[in-house]
Amino acid sequence: MDVSNEVPIIRIEDGAHHVCHYTLSFTICRGFYSHETHQALFLSKATLSSSSACSSSSASPTTMPFISKIHRQSDYNLFSSATPIVIDNGASYFRIGWAGESDPRVIFRNIVQRPRHKITGETVTIVGDHDPALLKYFDCTRSGPRSAFDSNVVYQFETMEYILDFGFDRMGANGSGIDHPVLITECVCNPVQSRSKMGELLFETYGVPSIAFGVDAAFSYKYNQQRGVCDKDGLAMCLGFNTTHVIPFVDGEPIYKGSCRTNIGGYHVTDYLKQLLSLKYPHHMARFTWEKVEDLKMEHCYITPDYASEARLFQKGAKEAEEKTRCWQLPWVPPPTEEPPSEEEIARKAAIKERNGQRLREMAEAKRSSRINELENELHGLEFLLRQLEQVEERNIPSFLAETGYVSRQEIESARGKASQSLRKAKGEPKSEQAETEADPATNEKFALVNIPDYMLTPDQIIEKKKQLSIKSMFEGRQRLKQKRHEEELERERKQQLEEEKRLENPELYLEQLHAKYKDLSEKINQRKRLKTNGGGHTNGNNLSGNVGRGERLNAAQRERMRLLTTAAFDRGKGEDTFGARDEDWQLYKLMSKDNDDDDEGPDQDETELARISSRLQDLDPTFVPKSEASTSQPAEVPRSRPLTKEDFQIVFGVERFRCPEILFSPKWIGVDQVGLDEMAGVTIRRLPFKDESLEERLTSSILVTGGSSLYPGIVERLEAGIRMIRPCGVPIKIVRALDPVIDAWRGAAAYASAPEFYTQTFSKMDYYEKGEDWLRSYQPKYSL
Amino acid sequence: MEAEIVEAELVLPSYFSFKKVQMYEKYPKGQSRGRHWKHLKQIIQAENYQNYPPDEPNYVNIESPPSMHPCKRICDITGFEAPYYDPRTNLRYANTDVFKIVRSLPNDYVQRYLSLRNAQVVLK
Repeated sequence: MDVSNEVPIIRIEDGAHHVCHYTLSFTICRGFYSHETHQALFLSKATLSSSSACSSSSASPTTMPFISKIHRQSDYNLFSSATPIVIDNGASYFRIGWAGESDPRVIFRNIVQRPRHKITGETVTIVGDHDPALLKYFDCTRSGPRSAFDSNVVYQFETMEYILDFGFDRMGANGSGIDHPVLITECVCNPVQSRSKMGELLFETYGVPSIAFGVDAAFSYKYNQQRGVCDKDGLAMCLGFNTTHVIPFVDGEPIYKGSCRTNIGGYHVTDYLKQLLSLKYPHHMARFTWEKVEDLKMEHCYITPDYASEARLFQKGAKEAEEKTRCWQLPWVPPPTEEPPSEEEIARKAAIKERNGQRLREMAEAKRSSRINELENELHGLEFLLRQLEQVEERNIPSFLAETGYVSRQEIESARGKASQSLRKAKGEPKSEQAETEADPATNEKFALVNIPDYMLTPDQIIEKKKQLSIKSMFEGRQRLKQKRHEEELERERKQQLEEEKRLENPELYLEQLHAKYKDLSEKINQRKRLKTNGGGHTNGNNLSGNVGRGERLNAAQRERMRLLTTAAFDRGKGEDTFGARDEDWQLYKLMSKDNDDDDEGPDQDETELARISSRLQDLDPTFVPKSEASTSQPAEVPRSRPLTKEDFQIVFGVERFRCPEILFSPKWIGVDQVGLDEMAGVTIRRLPFKDESLEERLTSSILVTGGSSLYPGIVERLEAGIRMIRPCGVPIKIVRALDPVIDAWRGAAAYASAPEFYTQTFSKMDYYEKGEDWLRSYQPKYSL
Repeated sequence: MEAEIVEAELVLPSYFSFKKVQMYEKYPKGQSRGRHWKHLKQIIQAENYQNYPPDEPNYVNIESPPSMHPCKRICDITGFEAPYYDPRTNLRYANTDVFKIVRSLPNDYVQRYLSLRNAQVVLK
């Protein structure tokens, strides 16, 4: 099946020649995958033409906040053991660096792969994202990339350990142990099991002197608050990889009591886009790798102010929609065009064909002449035998015949007759016509006895007469049939002449009439077929769509039969069995029997007429193409046979661009029954333990959106519209995007860890073991230092 | 190992001087360890949140409630607004053209479309 035709392909006029250069408000490119995007071209559908093509990776290196940085740092030993190491342990990216610096030193995707080396067969560990070209030496089919996260909670500490190993290693650690305090982020209300496992890992395995845990969204909010982007009272909306949080801040401290979490994030958006594209283009499924789709998402997805109206725009195929449709041209090499054979080639082929034909003809001629020769010889032999036989005396005949192998004179004669007949045939002389015309005058003699009454005949003659009678009636029947055929031929010729006259009179009108007739007939036949399969039109009138798809394999008669069988089977034992009391009951078996099917009537009159008209149309009208039945019943068959074109290698996505991020606002679309982003603000305010209208106003007038998914263009406007709907009329609403939604959490954490009071918020290994689990559960750092 | 892999330091070494306990000491080779981790569901169960006061925020009770707004229904295939739904496949569709596609979809595609919104038929 082919789903690709579900979106109306927009024809592109070759008029627009300006190179499309849509600038997005963000351009993100993951370092190692950027070369992949160079292969494929992204075209704005509206400006798509052979001459205007632009590469998607127009990102300049300075505006790439998301790039993986995995170079090993060399200055690890220059930092004193008092400088904390700051880790933003996000579900998608792991960022690690030094407190007080502006950027993390090492960034990589928070995944671990454990493929097998193809040659040596040993299982190796690969952390983060690497140049995919290097992975060709490994067999990655057994295990895909693994994450240490379940939702937003770390649960696989073996994987976490590999990631920490890699992170510390790339930081340049080479002493015995990590002799620096560590600040590591975790999710809001992290289960204590996960928190204590993380503490245990850092203390026991790496020898970290002290640890602090903090929430990434809070660090991001604090960072932006310090730069005046948001106030000390406000809401932090953090759109993470697996989850989305809204956390209220009062006096610069997060109130977790009022926070809420919806289990939707960037992962779900990418996954949704991936699934939708693979369903839409099943032939290109292998193209939609996770990394590729993530790039597509980051480059092309946006959030509309109003989903319904935007979707309607696309449904109507409006001009704006056309401009918003993006098209990804997959690498495609046009198939080699077959050149028409040259004159000489044609001549040469014709000569070969002619020569072969000549040879065959000669062979056939030789065979024929040898056969004629043979037959003539046989005939001569037989005639000679007959002449000899005449000379032989009566009593010597048997002995003479015994020598020849024939039994009687009649047999020889019949053999001679046969031989002469086949000789005539071989020579190509007509025989039957002659025979019949010859027979004509003899008819009366042949049937001499027919007209003589029975009483005048001997019993033998009566038998003979009966024979003659039957032969005569047969003969007459044949004559009649011949006559009829002849008459029909005449009639047809007359009709053809009539039509020809009509055609010559007014060719256009004639053609038109013929077309109309063809249409009528074909519709009539189709209708009949449909009725046959659908059982007499009780399909609520949706004939067209009713006969496609599942469940309609039986025709009406077969269905009726199945119904009778099932009722007969389940009718047993229900009350008194009166079957057979009436004679009509037994008719049931007749109806049930298979012979009742009467759908093979053979081609009827309409069909032959249709065939005639279509052949005539084909003669007269070169543009006429008869509608084949296959095209109506199996539409999937047709595209397969046609050669693949450039369009088949285009991934067109229009609605998907805003449909996928829309799940952040309607989680129900992917089966998550929780409030969307705009409603979350309302939920948070309701959950706050104190009712204070001025506080609520302060909260909504300082809403910060942060996290990777807040990069979609249009999210701020959309959120504002959504929150305005759920808040009382006239309250101030101000929504701002974080300065850098991706790195801000780490930067905030780095700034926090560099503060002199940071040490009051950490705990040591001794604290960890002495204070117990309940203390760890209630551990919460103070964010305003 | 190939030179370019070694150069890119693609493979994580098994020994690090900064670790007190190496990976191979923690998880010796050739020993089946079984499952040594818990799923999030099991972690939450072990937290025994019911023993703590309900007004104390925890991982479970900060979760968002179901939406109070009526759900916008969109066509499963095209993403347009979907006023109709097909009782045979349970797919929502926008218009007759989409309906034709819906009816000609093979069953596994129908199920994949349904699984997008977690409404597929689950065999137990």
